[in-house]
Amino acid sequence: MNAPTQIPSQYGSDHASMTAVARGELSCMSEIYENRHRSLFRFFFRLTRKQALSEDLVHEVFLRMIRYRHTYQTEGANNSPGAFEAWMYRIARNALVDHSRKHRHEVAPAQGQLELDQLESIPSQRPTPFESTAKRQDMARLYRALRELPEEKRELLVLTRFEGLSHDQIGRILGCESNTVKGRVFRAMKELGSIYSDLCKEKAS
Amino acid sequence: MMCSHAKELIAASWLGTLATDDAASLEEHLVLCSECNNEMTSLGGLWHSLADMPAPEPSPALDARWQSTLESLISAQQPAAIRKTSWLANLWPRNPVWQGALALACLIAGVLIGTNMPRQSKEIARLHDEITNTREMVALSLMQRESATERLKGVSYTDRLPTIQPDVVTALIDAVAHDPSVNVRLAAIDALSKASGNSGVLQSLTQSLPRQDSPMVQAALIDYLVDARDKKAVTTIRQLASQPDLNPAVLERTHFALQQLSR
Repeated sequence: MNAPTQIPSQYGSDHASMTAVARGELSCMSEIYENRHRSLFRFFFRLTRKQALSEDLVHEVFLRMIRYRHTYQTEGANNSPGAFEAWMYRIARNALVDHSRKHRHEVAPAQGQLELDQLESIPSQRPTPFESTAKRQDMARLYRALRELPEEKRELLVLTRFEGLSHDQIGRILGCESNTVKGRVFRAMKELGSIYSDLCKEKAS
Repeated sequence: MMCSHAKELIAASWLGTLATDDAASLEEHLVLCSECNNEMTSLGGLWHSLADMPAPEPSPALDARWQSTLESLISAQQPAAIRKTSWLANLWPRNPVWQGALALACLIAGVLIGTNMPRQSKEIARLHDEITNTREMVALSLMQRESATERLKGVSYTDRLPTIQPDVVTALIDAVAHDPSVNVRLAAIDALSKASGNSGVLQSLTQSLPRQDSPMVQAALIDYLVDARDKKAVTTIRQLASQPDLNPAVLERTHFALQQLSR
């Protein structure tokens, strides 16, 4: 998994940096950006599959974090583990929802070979010379299965599997109990498995 | 253990957050329930495969964009801070009476300086005239263009002029009389509304009325003459109304105009 690289912050954590930003020290935002922009970009890219849009949304999230910094003082002041992540991903989800609402009439790009092309255009972090063609095709099918998953389930898997958020943190983002999140993650995985096996059968026939 | 609870525990096991007791309970359940056991195996494999999916990276342009945004936000925040600590702020009196006296003194000084600087106001007036002349030149130049869109722009440009000078009025009258584009003629009639008190303009527009072939332009000219209360136009409007092939809407407008101007 491509976990975000945590850079030690001058304040010890992103929570401390964000608290400083909320007090008006905007320069502390650059540390949070360094720590979080890649994971936010991957979150948006896995949901939208669009590079430029994902970058726009990352930029928007950091702007909103500054704009709504005073709300962080009230919501995140308890310094509980994962408070910052929950707050940040709530902003990210809202930014994406607002974008989708504004552009709901736009036509989606043509699908088909897209996911394989995208997969090949992304540099793999594992050594590629030894990767077999079959494995790459399997990965392309998995990528496509993830794309065909309903948006709320895809978001759930992106947050748990790719962003490494705990069930508690996701519960705070979605406004539900941790056990509810576990049940939903299981159902999302089951649906992903079902789409994936259909795609495998399609390939075999 | 119910299968629904087992599924929650399976999801927790994928994230590695399963407590020891729960792990033992799940183990027992999986031995007894083949369905859950199969799902644990197959979906667990898929869960691990997801980790192999490559991760995209943002472009360096994002860093540059964010850096520039943050710098501008920080610099926008700074003037307020500087004002607070400025030595000038310390000179401002704390007492409201002194504050009022100082403000009054500033006001008087401002009025005196303003009234004793006629040269500067002349300069401003001269610059204002120059800008107006330039705008006139632009408008006149655009009205000479071959493209109807450009000519339309030229006519619309005259709206920016505080008053319209005789050469612009002449160009607009000429546009109403001869421009091949209906839109340009209509726009020119609108633009001439600033000169509706000018008898020469009214006379020229009255003369151009019988020559117009577009009902829209005819109607706009009739309305213009009615708004200007130009009783001299009655004869021309009456002649127009007597034309056998006149557009019914224009005919109706001529009746209305004759009724208004005959009062």
